[in-house]
Amino acid sequence: MQDKAAELLKNGTVNLLIGFSEDLGKRPVPCFIETAEEANILVFNQECKNNLSVYLHKKEVKDAVKIGLVSNIATLRSVMQLLSENQLWSLTITYLTVNTAGELVVLSSAEELEAYVQANFPTCRAEDKEMLDKLNAMTRAERWAYWKDQLSECVKCYACRAVCPMCYCTVCTTECNQPQWIKTSAETSGNFEYHTMRAMHLGGRCINCGECGRICPAGIPVHLLTAQMNLEIEQEFGGKTGWSLKSEYAMNSFKPGDKENFIK
Amino acid sequence: MELKLLSTSDIAVFVDGLLKAGKVVVAPVLKQSGKVFFKPVQSFAEVATDYIQTAFSAKEVVFPKVEELFTYQHNEDGSLDIKDQLDRIPETVVWGLRPCDAAGFDYLNQFFLKENPDVYFKARYDKTTLVTVSCSKCDESCFCTSVDSHPGDTKGSDILLTAMDGKCYVEVITDNGLALINSAKELFTSTDTLSKEAFLAKPATHFSMDEIKDKIQYAYASAEWKHASMGCYSCGACAFACPTCTCFDIQDEGTQDHGKRVRCWDACGMSQFTKHASGHNPRNTQTERRRQRLMHKFKYSVENLGVVSCVGCGRCIRVCPSHLNIFENILSVMN
Amino acid sequence: MDTNQYIPYQVRIADIIDEAPLVRTYRLEFTDPTANFTFKAGQFAEYGVFGEGESTFCIASSPTREGYLECTFRSSGRVTKALANCEINDIIGLRGPFGKAFPIEEWYGKDIVFITGGIGLPPLRCVIWNVLDQREKFGKVSIYYGARTVADLVYKEELDNWKKRDDVDLFLTVDPGGETKDWKDNVGFVPTIIEQNLPSSTNAIAIVAGPPILIKMSMPILAKCGFANDKIFTTLENRMKCGVGKCGHCTVGKTYVCKDGPVFTYEEVLQMPQEY
Repeated sequence: MQDKAAELLKNGTVNLLIGFSEDLGKRPVPCFIETAEEANILVFNQECKNNLSVYLHKKEVKDAVKIGLVSNIATLRSVMQLLSENQLWSLTITYLTVNTAGELVVLSSAEELEAYVQANFPTCRAEDKEMLDKLNAMTRAERWAYWKDQLSECVKCYACRAVCPMCYCTVCTTECNQPQWIKTSAETSGNFEYHTMRAMHLGGRCINCGECGRICPAGIPVHLLTAQMNLEIEQEFGGKTGWSLKSEYAMNSFKPGDKENFIK
Repeated sequence: MELKLLSTSDIAVFVDGLLKAGKVVVAPVLKQSGKVFFKPVQSFAEVATDYIQTAFSAKEVVFPKVEELFTYQHNEDGSLDIKDQLDRIPETVVWGLRPCDAAGFDYLNQFFLKENPDVYFKARYDKTTLVTVSCSKCDESCFCTSVDSHPGDTKGSDILLTAMDGKCYVEVITDNGLALINSAKELFTSTDTLSKEAFLAKPATHFSMDEIKDKIQYAYASAEWKHASMGCYSCGACAFACPTCTCFDIQDEGTQDHGKRVRCWDACGMSQFTKHASGHNPRNTQTERRRQRLMHKFKYSVENLGVVSCVGCGRCIRVCPSHLNIFENILSVMN
Repeated sequence: MDTNQYIPYQVRIADIIDEAPLVRTYRLEFTDPTANFTFKAGQFAEYGVFGEGESTFCIASSPTREGYLECTFRSSGRVTKALANCEINDIIGLRGPFGKAFPIEEWYGKDIVFITGGIGLPPLRCVIWNVLDQREKFGKVSIYYGARTVADLVYKEELDNWKKRDDVDLFLTVDPGGETKDWKDNVGFVPTIIEQNLPSSTNAIAIVAGPPILIKMSMPILAKCGFANDKIFTTLENRMKCGVGKCGHCTVGKTYVCKDGPVFTYEEVLQMPQEY
């Protein structure tokens, strides 16, 4: 991967490469390199979980236009979803990923990306499935109590929103004060408002990378909210997120054959 | 300063005694997520002891994440009843702080009270006793020794405990601390000065305060800021976990007829922090915002209050989704 | 017992003047007769509509006129829109006075040059009133003021009064294209008008406030006239919440615009990081 990155930077295919390097604690952290000489800091392993596609919205990245993106499968799915939402039109991206056989794979076009993603489409992570099953087995009251307890810890740091590639609104609903849709203070009721709103806005768009829950400083598994939302949408309306270049966004498309069995 | 010994097995007795006496005890608690947070406890059995650092600081005790400033209620004649709740703050003991956290309280004390004293902070701080436990372990994010502190530092604490082979060395630093000890006099025996050195962690030192004093003036213009801030997601995790970050927002919650005005944590890293109503944003890029955060910690708080406001606890590094490293960044912009 | 700086005074709206499109002046009186509110020109206050929030404006009246204070604001965001919906006799909240004032006592005997535009006149009116109410203590008084259009000029009645006074030189202008058929005064941007009527810097103080572009264009002209940077004063505006140097929103480098300002000399402004 280091060699390939160096090559792409050297021959000008890529102006800015977003990947992972190791910090003092041997943790993989996002890194941004612009010259071939820096490529030897790149690492890639199972611990590289950050969804780097979120940086594609950053002004400094957009200005570089020709981007190299080190990706795990979740990142690639996010990019698929963003492409289907017309968000990356100003960028030319080369993707570097590693397949299950441990081989470097380089994808240079949207079509190559789509083919790879569809051939390697992941299933729901086991630990998430376990937690979702547990929550779905609870009574409504138990589930309410669980989330009330969890969300009372939320400090409204918005790290969940910040790491999400799908949260790219230039002015978030939470930043609107005319009217103040969502309370800014971190009291439980306002926290509920924020997280349920976010789950709604991500309904049919979230690819379940799980980053929001993993990085939450308060340790709240917020990714389960969006994961459940998307499971239900998939069940009701079909379609998979991060699957196709064509947008089949469940929450803003209507087909005459759509089931209406929720209207009782 | 008074020096005492407390046997390890009596720690639980002491803390449970404080609870029985009606004090609120806030201590580190291990949550299901595997992270440790400062929470009010009902017994010492709930207190976590085997961890390096809590996820968030304990500053919530004196500077809550949401604090009611006052409630308001319109009367028929158009005037308003405005009430605060400053008289309803309980006696609180924060148990199990680290020396870096206690230094953080010391900074908060100076920031909120030195000039234009903040009555809300004062009301809580005056009712709080800080019991710190020395660090026997550290990780690579800890850097207290770079900011004029160390794992056995007493700065900011009322009492400092150091675990030493089945007993606890108790340094009673303030009158507040002494009052707490005296509430369970029978558990403590006097002692001479003991050396803590062998029982303290040895975090790596990355720079010295002298180096900061010399070079921080050159940091603002450094070309390294862009690189130091590229990974920043523009969230508030670092500021909210930090023991010395004090920025807040003021919001009205309610109707024009009745409701409350609250203050809640805010973070200078967030994109809208400095935005004017006109739309003009003086710190419009993440580079400028990160620079402001670090310059504030290492230069502006020195110019305003005489102290560096970073205590080296490393929380910002641990909670950051991209683990941005404050001491690495400071070194790179200074050199 | 320290004062709780977050509890507002309750003030009644005694009078409302529509100055310009979206711009209003409120005359405010304290409902509590024992409220011993004193302030100096240049200080600001936080004006609040309960349930909506607070907004920061300078106090646009002068301490030389007792019994009331005035603020002038443009309706632009949530709070100012709610304020604009208030009526006479409504009660709003007021916190203050905050910040450092203009050092008017140090200016006795000097010429005073005011340069401002549009909605920048309210922060300077407190000083203008203060100076005019003690006119004999000062030398020449010159006011350079303009707005985009005639309608956007604020304090229209006062401008007429200042024009009529022979101890005030008022250079009034509107931007090219902003004049009406019967406009008899200057047409041109404020800096242009200053160029055409250069003020003397001998024993003089200049106070500049208003849109950043106006400040930026006026400074070189003042430098040309010989004004040293510590003889030019300005009042900075930044996003504010607490007003007392705690919430962190208004910081420019180490400086809190609310408590270390909002009045600064141009020399002090140049020493700050240019992030305001």
